[in-house]
Amino acid sequence: MKALHKSTLVLLSLGLTMGGVLAGCSSKDGGTSGNAESAAGGSNAKQEKVQLDFWTFWGSTTRRPIIEKIINDFNASQDKIFVKHTYLPFGDIWTKELAQVAAGNPPDVIVNDITTVAQRAVKNQNTNLKDLIGSDDIQSRFFPELWKTTLYNNEPYALPFVTDTRVMFYNKKLFKEAGLDPNKPPATWDELEADAKKLDKIGSDGKIERLGYEPTIAGGWDLFLADSDGLPLVDDQGPHINTPSKIEALGWVKSWSDRLGKKNLDAFKAGFGSQQNDPFIAGKLGIKIDVATFWTQIRDFYPNKEDIGIAPLPEFKPGTGHNSIGGGFVLEIPKGAKHPKESYEFMKYLTDAAAQKYWAQKNFDNVANIQASNDPELQADPVYKAAVDNLKNTKVSVVPINAPDFRNLINPEVDAVLLGKETPKEGLDKAQAAVQNLMDQNKT
Amino acid sequence: MSRSLPASAGAGAMKRRSRKLSLERREKAWGYLFVSPWVLGFLAFTAGPLLFSLYASFTNYDITSQMDWVGVKNFHRMFKEDPLFWISLKNTLFYVVLMVPLTTLSSILIAMLLNVRIPGMRLFRTMFYLPSVLSGVGVYLLWMQLLNPESGLVNQILSLVGIDGPSWLTDPNWTKPAVIFMKMWSVGGGMLMYLASLQGVPEQLYEAAEIDGAGAFRRFITITLPMISPVIFFEIVTGLIGGFQIFQEGYVMSDNTGPGAPMNSLMFYNLYMYLKAFKVFDMGYAMAMAWFLFLIVIVITIVNMLVSKYWVHYEGGDQR
Repeated sequence: MKALHKSTLVLLSLGLTMGGVLAGCSSKDGGTSGNAESAAGGSNAKQEKVQLDFWTFWGSTTRRPIIEKIINDFNASQDKIFVKHTYLPFGDIWTKELAQVAAGNPPDVIVNDITTVAQRAVKNQNTNLKDLIGSDDIQSRFFPELWKTTLYNNEPYALPFVTDTRVMFYNKKLFKEAGLDPNKPPATWDELEADAKKLDKIGSDGKIERLGYEPTIAGGWDLFLADSDGLPLVDDQGPHINTPSKIEALGWVKSWSDRLGKKNLDAFKAGFGSQQNDPFIAGKLGIKIDVATFWTQIRDFYPNKEDIGIAPLPEFKPGTGHNSIGGGFVLEIPKGAKHPKESYEFMKYLTDAAAQKYWAQKNFDNVANIQASNDPELQADPVYKAAVDNLKNTKVSVVPINAPDFRNLINPEVDAVLLGKETPKEGLDKAQAAVQNLMDQNKT
Repeated sequence: MSRSLPASAGAGAMKRRSRKLSLERREKAWGYLFVSPWVLGFLAFTAGPLLFSLYASFTNYDITSQMDWVGVKNFHRMFKEDPLFWISLKNTLFYVVLMVPLTTLSSILIAMLLNVRIPGMRLFRTMFYLPSVLSGVGVYLLWMQLLNPESGLVNQILSLVGIDGPSWLTDPNWTKPAVIFMKMWSVGGGMLMYLASLQGVPEQLYEAAEIDGAGAFRRFITITLPMISPVIFFEIVTGLIGGFQIFQEGYVMSDNTGPGAPMNSLMFYNLYMYLKAFKVFDMGYAMAMAWFLFLIVIVITIVNMLVSKYWVHYEGGDQR
């Protein structure tokens, strides 16, 4: 009897311990967020600071020191708040944040994607900043195009931090070699094609030794579709996928690989497997369209960077506009964060001219703050100036609330068109219908 | 605690019995004690979440803002409104139907070849087993290079024998065969199981059959296959279950143009479920998808179990 009793007791206590451990696991915060209460142990004369946990995915050797210096500056600038930086890899950060939001223990400030702020607002994942901002005139700091991305029902749920824009880089040295004017980059799609043909160096067997340009290798089809009529693929009004301009644009994108030969392009691409080995940097590609920050690669790896020119995107037809697309990142307070007031203070600091200027200078990024963007010291750099000037041609298109995964419906159709299995019109008509169907499905 | 004992029992017997009983009980208690961490873990981390997801599959759960009962709406959307659901299911079935027989055949074949006693056999066994130790994204990246239509080793070898190899990962007709082809490379795990069971086939059966004049093929069909059939059965069941869960290949090998590319040819069921769950937080829908897959797999497994008694042979009587 006694023995049984004992073992039951052991069993019971073990069960309780297990339960306790489990409960502990769920109530503990994974050891990331600094708890202000726990610091309230000793009765120090020092004033107690609110600890904030700031999550970013900026862990690279370039970016980490920059953001950490900005954080240290903020910590030194006042004595009420102490910010701690937590780095999480780009692939995990938002999934992890979501789990923490669901558990009621989120970070205090997080860097998130600029095109999906409203998605998160609908889903209760971020905090409405309207009352925190109060009578602050913070809106005037930012480019209007970017401020717009943070609104849901006309109320802000984030502050813009950085944006990007796509520009055209071209190799003046190769232009000269091909008998083109190195100071006259192509201004229309037709010119782009004509210049590219002159820049091409193709063997008699079709093997590409040097490529002038090709849209899918050095730009992306979606960029050209947006450039053609300046309309995003999808917005609140619905999909604009099968507009006449976009159908023509997709046909034009495909015409390049028809002319050059898919196999030859594959072989050319295969020669440049990875980022470290960019055909443009290697002088094997005459023109490249990319985000303006691609300049940092040119700066670091291309032997004479004065050979490289930078220009806005060419126009679809004269007068249709040099429409470019951009993305970027915002700062948000996840829903349920414990110190929204302090979080907002910190976000204000991060988006203020000083911090933004420092970020732009070191990263070559387009920042959201107008004053920092137009800082004369920064503007002295012609490439930086070109990137900022290009912002007025750039649209940041927000993902509509009822079409969160619309890309999954468009991509396969465009694949089919580029593989020659459908005409541009068929493919884009189907994509239009599929996205429309998705948006109808999600109308609640 | 009180067990009525027959009145006829003597005091001595009673004492003995109660001691035996308490010993039995004690042993039982210790048994429960030792199994309790697993039971508690199972309840907290497996059974609980399972039941939760079953409930949530009938709601519009999105983790953070809503969890309203919507009845069978998720299932209705799946079957009636969402073409991608059917595409992803078709892709997964295509993969499973080809992959399971092919890997089973090839791993039996390799195991037979490696069951011969020649010098250096250990080295060969190691070589064939090695790829199944490697796994994950690194292997996919390696294969993406091998399968490159122009510079990849696979097509270069094909061109030596005069075959113009396909664009493995960019032609939608060839992407799934490419993934299956890649899978064949790592059949070492199954091979090892077959090898072990081949070694367990008693030599005297073969000798007896040989004396009776059975040829090599006949011996394989009537002795080897039945003797290793339990392992084949196990491999097929686990292979099917694993096959339905294919995810990484579609996620990693989609050529940088988006998950499942080109033309949704690598949009597998689990990949689509993942996109719905963790990219757009359509959790209720994703959980409905998960349960539907569970249903498919459990039905197939039960059918397997039922059919197995007609072809799986266990030594030692009727323990089916």
